[in-house]
Amino acid sequence: MSMGDRTMNAGRGAVTGKGAGNAQSGWSVRLAARPLFMCGFRPFFLLTALHAVLVLLAWGGFLGFGLALPAVAGGPFVWHAHELMFGFGLAAVAGFVLTAVPEFTATPAFAPRVVLRLVLLWLAARAAFWLSGGLAAVAESWLGGEEGQAVARWIGHLPAALLEIGFACALLAAVAPRLWRDPERRHLGFQWGLAAMAMAVAGFHLDVLRGEYPMRWVLVGLGVMMTLVVVAMSRISMRVMNDALDAARARRLPAHTLRRDEEAELELPSYRARPPRRNLAIAAIAVHTVAEYLLPGSPITGWLGLGAAAAVFNLLNDWHVGRALFTRWAFLLYAVYWLLALGYLLLGLARLGAPLAPSAGTHLLAIGAMGLSILAVLCIAGRTHAGYPLDERPRVGAAAVSIVLAALLRAAAGLPDMPASALQLLATLAWITAFALAAWRLGVLFVAARVDGGAGCEEYHAPRAAEAVPP
Amino acid sequence: MNLLRAWLAGLPAYLWSGWGAIASLCLLLAAWEAVSLAYGPLVMPDPRAAFATLWGLIDSGAAWPELAATARRALTGYALSVVAGSVLGLVAGLSMTASMMARPLVTVLMGTPPIAWLVLAMLWFGASDGTPVFTVFVASFPVIFIGALQGTRTLDNQLHGMAAAFRLPRRMMLTDVYLPHVVSYLFPSWIAALGTAWKVVVMAELLATQDGVGAALAVSRSHLDTAATMAWIAAVVGLLLAVEYLVLEPIKREVERWREQGA
Repeated sequence: MSMGDRTMNAGRGAVTGKGAGNAQSGWSVRLAARPLFMCGFRPFFLLTALHAVLVLLAWGGFLGFGLALPAVAGGPFVWHAHELMFGFGLAAVAGFVLTAVPEFTATPAFAPRVVLRLVLLWLAARAAFWLSGGLAAVAESWLGGEEGQAVARWIGHLPAALLEIGFACALLAAVAPRLWRDPERRHLGFQWGLAAMAMAVAGFHLDVLRGEYPMRWVLVGLGVMMTLVVVAMSRISMRVMNDALDAARARRLPAHTLRRDEEAELELPSYRARPPRRNLAIAAIAVHTVAEYLLPGSPITGWLGLGAAAAVFNLLNDWHVGRALFTRWAFLLYAVYWLLALGYLLLGLARLGAPLAPSAGTHLLAIGAMGLSILAVLCIAGRTHAGYPLDERPRVGAAAVSIVLAALLRAAAGLPDMPASALQLLATLAWITAFALAAWRLGVLFVAARVDGGAGCEEYHAPRAAEAVPP
Repeated sequence: MNLLRAWLAGLPAYLWSGWGAIASLCLLLAAWEAVSLAYGPLVMPDPRAAFATLWGLIDSGAAWPELAATARRALTGYALSVVAGSVLGLVAGLSMTASMMARPLVTVLMGTPPIAWLVLAMLWFGASDGTPVFTVFVASFPVIFIGALQGTRTLDNQLHGMAAAFRLPRRMMLTDVYLPHVVSYLFPSWIAALGTAWKVVVMAELLATQDGVGAALAVSRSHLDTAATMAWIAAVVGLLLAVEYLVLEPIKREVERWREQGA
């Protein structure tokens, strides 16, 4: 992108957020000017990694040492599931769409002010949810009685509900117009995914306010997240897989001649994430999610789970293009689909009466598919949009392997005759290791200014050999 | 030999593409489960019960003789109709007059319900193997006949003219011009006829014989054993799916590949 484009973008960005800026106080302007808010992914990916560590530290303390967790309606398991789904997961989604949607729709990047506001909303939602139990207890001690209990629950939970639904809706409102106005509307999948996610968040809080156990909405959120993973991965994989294939072609062809090049094209198929198979997988996951909500634990859901697993395995047909698959970034994304399919397989088998806990399947989905894909996005989109080339050092592999390990250990804890609590603790440790590594190694890049001369969300461009050599 | 090698090389990718089919079959199983939950096991046992019964039948060895008897009859009738239908269809296709004359006859054959042939066959052949074999033959013959007829009738005259102009040897004419075209019509008709044969044989056995899957279905019906009924149905359909997708479909793709490349 040329310098002229950049100034034009900055100008348009300012117009988008006009009027609101006047009322802003000095500190927020200064804060928004920091490199951290240069692009949407920076604060959100950092918060994603930090939150992943924080929540699992608290969870490990609870599981291993009986330490107290923030009291919330529904108890510790709801806190754990909610924070990882609607806190960690939604932060990662926010970082992704705030960066990817402007790129996909060729619209200017989101202004730092908009990003800052969303970040503050997310942080406020976290604080409100974590304090909701305490607030309700205080209100109850004042009100007392049967009647007072319900009112106290409302008082305690309402701020969290409003802030969190507000965050999901604000995110949707920020990106939906751009997706909709795009002439070809090729990326509407994100819009439907975000809308469904906002619905899941709203359902969760309505259940809490009505005094019901809200876990079913976390499972809806998980299903929506899985479809978003499939949609987002299809976009990322096109790039990653074809880069890997190009590299494989280049290795085969030391000297570039057109004839041989044509031959190589024929030998190595190009990779295309084809919509029919993807749509089948998304439909299968959606049907499973709806069935799981309407008929929890039914064998019908079990067959649909097996169907979703088969549909995801079917998606891998596009990926089987030879040895290029076994390069780092390609294989990382490929592993996400395997975990996704295996998660639905275990979930389906559990519903059909196999002797294993459904949580084995849900955790393969949540830790494996969601966690690993988020790590992949952090490492790929996070680094390249911060102005650095992809990290080829072993630490990416170490983080990815520990997440896969965490998923498998946690799934194994749901199998019969397993030392469940030990496995859960080990899984917790592996997860913390992976995201602590990500928070540290990527966080330092996200808070710092760009060093490659780029601005905003621009992607890293490898300097050509001629440019790299100083004159 | 080339065909075999291509088939083997494409096998892993082909088998993996079966996941799509499995995904939609799982939806069917979910629908089956829903019906069984709604109407109770007497009307419709759930899939797991049916598969458990089937597994019991296979495990005890009770299933194999019945399946073998059914397969023997179906394949005998089918083989007869493949030979007769292909040869007669090809010959009829060569002559305009013959194909004009054959069409109404085939329509009569296709229009007569298999159950009517079955009644006639029972009168003619009694409770022997002849009854199902004949019924299968009559039911699948017209399908293949029409396929063969179409194959020869639609041969490209221009292609023929060009081949003649280049003085193509007779053998090449046959293998490179006629055969690929005719086979691309014949093969799908063979597959369609196999499906027909497999369905008709069970029906014939149900009414006319003492052994085979059809007879086993009759027994389970009289015992009101819906689980066994569904188990036998699953066995028959599963075998057909296996034969069609593991054996016939890959060959069909190989045979029809020249068409896609031309398009």
